[in-house]
Amino acid sequence: MILSNTEEVPGRAIREFYGVVTGSTVRSKHFGKDLLAGLKNLVGGELKGYTELLSEARQEAVERMVEQAKALGANAVVNVRFATSSVAQGAAELFAYGTAVRVD
Amino acid sequence: MVEALVQLGVPLFLLVLGYVAGSIAEQNHYKSIRVRELRFRRMPTTNLRRPPVHWRIESVALVAGSTVVSVDYFKRFLAQLRGLVGGRVRAYESLLDRARREAMLRMKEEAAQRGFDAVINVRLESTNIAAPLRNDKGTAGVEVLAFGTALKLARA
Amino acid sequence: MRFEPRDLIENNVSPGHPLAELGTLVAGLALVGLALLFTAWLAVEGAVRFLPASLEQRAFGVAAGAFAVPSDARGAALDAVLGRLARHWEGHGYALRLGVVDEEDLPNAFALPGGHVLVTSALLDQAGSENELAFVLAHELGHVEARDPLRALGRGLLVALALAALGGTDGSAIVGSAATLGELAFSREQERAADRFALALVAAEYGHVAGASDFLARLPDARPAGGAERAVSWLATHPRSADRVAELDALAAAAGYPTTGALTPLAPEIRGG
Repeated sequence: MILSNTEEVPGRAIREFYGVVTGSTVRSKHFGKDLLAGLKNLVGGELKGYTELLSEARQEAVERMVEQAKALGANAVVNVRFATSSVAQGAAELFAYGTAVRVD
Repeated sequence: MVEALVQLGVPLFLLVLGYVAGSIAEQNHYKSIRVRELRFRRMPTTNLRRPPVHWRIESVALVAGSTVVSVDYFKRFLAQLRGLVGGRVRAYESLLDRARREAMLRMKEEAAQRGFDAVINVRLESTNIAAPLRNDKGTAGVEVLAFGTALKLARA
Repeated sequence: MRFEPRDLIENNVSPGHPLAELGTLVAGLALVGLALLFTAWLAVEGAVRFLPASLEQRAFGVAAGAFAVPSDARGAALDAVLGRLARHWEGHGYALRLGVVDEEDLPNAFALPGGHVLVTSALLDQAGSENELAFVLAHELGHVEARDPLRALGRGLLVALALAALGGTDGSAIVGSAATLGELAFSREQERAADRFALALVAAEYGHVAGASDFLARLPDARPAGGAERAVSWLATHPRSADRVAELDALAAAAGYPTTGALTPLAPEIRGG
């Protein structure tokens, strides 16, 4: 499955398009990470725990989007975009969406 | 200490109420979503900026659909438990899935109603609506906005 | 580029039934919670065992300066009764202090950390005999002996810490109720132990235990109870007074303490001092 955040796959023509596919996931951190983050608030720096959490979430969201595209018979998803929002105390939603297409 | 029992009983009752009412609402919403998605399956939607070159476009318009879906007591409790342990918050996933699909459908409905045939450059935004004034720093609901450019095509 | 209508699959919601998820989460958290409570309990028990009476006295002496030990004749008479009772408590290492709280309506007595005992003025007004007062004082000494006030303080602190760490989620109301219900079992056992200690002390001082349960018998919940009341009593922090009176009689019989004897009248300075 080809993924791209450009309008077209460079060098290949789009034959068919099927529609918008989305992949989303809502992940929550656990209590321990929360404590560590609270401590980090004092000294600053990267919150490694949260970085990992969100990057896992992003991977999963992309996987779900790709699954939807496969089920439509697509071989590429173009114009992929990401959006994050906080839906609850300590839980973040990540979703990815793009257009499922069939390229040459 | 009958108070201890009452203190346990009230949240339990609210949980049961939230679960029952919440799942009924969710099932009904999904049913409605599926029916309408079938109706609109023939309307091309894409998040590409350029439409297919062979389309002859008569007119364009900005269309949007949005919805705010609320959280029930049961989902909120489940999310709080998850907040201790970590992992996927399944309760909120279904909420957002419904909200997103509903928003897309409303956008397509607006396009269809105004006589358009396709929607391009679809974008999705979601926001958390915070519960105002109350002690719990939780979510009152989630708003999802879907918007794009609707095209009226010159052909049968 | 042609449009080809196809149907989307629904894969954006993780599989699993919400009730099943609730079940596993609650079970898991309950197990963890129980394990934590158990370790906390062990920690408190251990700490209490290692804290010598003299250290406890010094640590809490300052706080107890807050209540007044009457320095008048009443205070002297009370100290005399307490002193006579405490003689039978071998090697206790506490400098016991007895304070009086001005409370007209509720007869009551408390044991505080550091070997301090408090009684309300209502208790002193309503006491029928010295034996009755002695039993109440000895019961509180029993709590001091078992380090119950320290335990309660330690447990309370740990529970408060745990709740604060959890960040006061909605679930904390539920956890709080569970903690209360859990505490109740301890309290009732402690009360029984204190009663046993008190009987021993009173029997040693007066040669009999007559008059010991008079205070309890006068309390409003000392009447025989109907079914519903008995059910609710299981939830009460203190066993019902009727049950306690019955148990005292049973204890006295088992230990062979004489249950009849002359009641020592209460020294006049103590009443309405």
